[in-house]
Amino acid sequence: MGHMVKQNSDKIAAEPWPENATLYQQLKGEQILLSDNAASLAVQAFLQMCNLPIKVVCRANAEYMSPSGKVPFIHVGNQVVSELGPIVQFVKAKGHSLSDGLDEVQKAEMKAYMELVNNMLLTAELYLQWCDEATVGEITHARYGSPYPWPLNHILAYQKQWEIKRKMKAIGWGKKTLDQVLEDVDQCCQALSQRLGTQPYFFNKQPTELDALVFGHLYTILTTQLTNDELSEKVKNYSNLLAFCRRIEQHYFEDRGKDRLS
Amino acid sequence: MAASLELSCWGGGWGLPSVHSESLVVMAYAKFSGAPLKVNVIDNTWRGSRGDVPILTTEDNIVSQPAKILNFLRKQKYNADYELSAKQGADTLAYIALLEEKLLPAVLHTFWVESDNYFTVTKPWFASQIPFPLSLILPGRMSRGALNRILLTRGQPPLYHLREVEAQIYRDAKECLNLLSNRLGTSQFFFGNTPSTLDAYVFGFLAPLYKVRFPKIQLQEHLKQLSNLCRFCDDILSSYFRISLGAFSCVNRYQQQIDFGEVHSHDSTT
Repeated sequence: MGHMVKQNSDKIAAEPWPENATLYQQLKGEQILLSDNAASLAVQAFLQMCNLPIKVVCRANAEYMSPSGKVPFIHVGNQVVSELGPIVQFVKAKGHSLSDGLDEVQKAEMKAYMELVNNMLLTAELYLQWCDEATVGEITHARYGSPYPWPLNHILAYQKQWEIKRKMKAIGWGKKTLDQVLEDVDQCCQALSQRLGTQPYFFNKQPTELDALVFGHLYTILTTQLTNDELSEKVKNYSNLLAFCRRIEQHYFEDRGKDRLS
Repeated sequence: MAASLELSCWGGGWGLPSVHSESLVVMAYAKFSGAPLKVNVIDNTWRGSRGDVPILTTEDNIVSQPAKILNFLRKQKYNADYELSAKQGADTLAYIALLEEKLLPAVLHTFWVESDNYFTVTKPWFASQIPFPLSLILPGRMSRGALNRILLTRGQPPLYHLREVEAQIYRDAKECLNLLSNRLGTSQFFFGNTPSTLDAYVFGFLAPLYKVRFPKIQLQEHLKQLSNLCRFCDDILSSYFRISLGAFSCVNRYQQQIDFGEVHSHDSTT
């Protein structure tokens, strides 16, 4: 869970969104992993959709700088907030919201689908990164430890792997095979595809935090080079999801003159 | 001609056919889909593995975990969702994810971690269902498993402190209950007039929270204020599980007299 610096919401609302708001994540080229990249992109997309400027800064120790240990986190004024959920709340306290127009039932649906993405997609990404031996050996281990000298790079990578494996076991994913995990990804994408239907966004004309979250994960899965293409193939089966990603990329990233997403 | 389906699960109390959420989900789904389950309640003659309960056994298969058991039943043509549209099927997955992420931690905490509740209610009840010396070991193991799950999914590395997350998980659970109540509204079930997988899951998670009598009851109090969710649970209990009134106390060793009433025939059994 994210961690907000304890301020009452009046104080948060009082200060307008500054020009120098920054988002911190790990190094893009050599270090950041699939799941963290997805999370960071989701937050960037959300802020773009709210029309709030944000500068992305890459730091090798972003994970340790974060108050909750999770990336990304944003530094706004003198406050630091991490993870999409708390960031959405923080932005709302400043008077910006994408989901105000939804009725109660729609809000419930939105939250449920966001949990579906966390429960299935994010967990599958973590599984692939840390529990699939091929991926761990060829990609994750090297990337995660890349900023650090030996033996720290190995120690940190093993520690993180152990932590993730414990979590997988606690939620009942410990005994899953890669095929079962890919099945779950497919099921999740199918549900998202069915819910999206032919609409431009999940709640028709206007994007919400759900769209930002789904975009963050799907776009990252589609554009990240892994040991094989199985994961991205699952997403590619659903043409409306591909169109959805392209639409958000074009509208919120390219058209705004931002740097092309790598 | 259908293979005999036997479900091993934890028994009932406080008016419920089972006090264990996962067992209850499977039982409810079986009722809704018309699957003819033979229910074997765990008692002091049980010799199998207890950690994975509920477990479905047929002649050639052993299936554990509610999601897998429900999948298996669907493949055997016991499908409670055949009237659902594709979107409703997708909504089912999403709401189940919501239940597992937002409601389950607080339910686990109420049953297995909150000391007053665990030591006066949960532990004695579970210990009474199984033979000595397992009765000394298993409840503790289940409690540690619950705590572990809460901390690993909601706690902050590297120091996992329960206190930091307690307030948050109860807040999330109350919000989740409110969302469910909003979504259910005045309908009888979550999708129309016939119960489906989602109804089984919601019932499984909510009914024990609603009925089991605990000393520390903050989440229960919140649930009781949401009258449509309480009505939902009571309706399912009275329509699908007619319990004959044996004496239900929390330290009850004799066989529960659970009379599984007639199954409503609106499903697609072969």
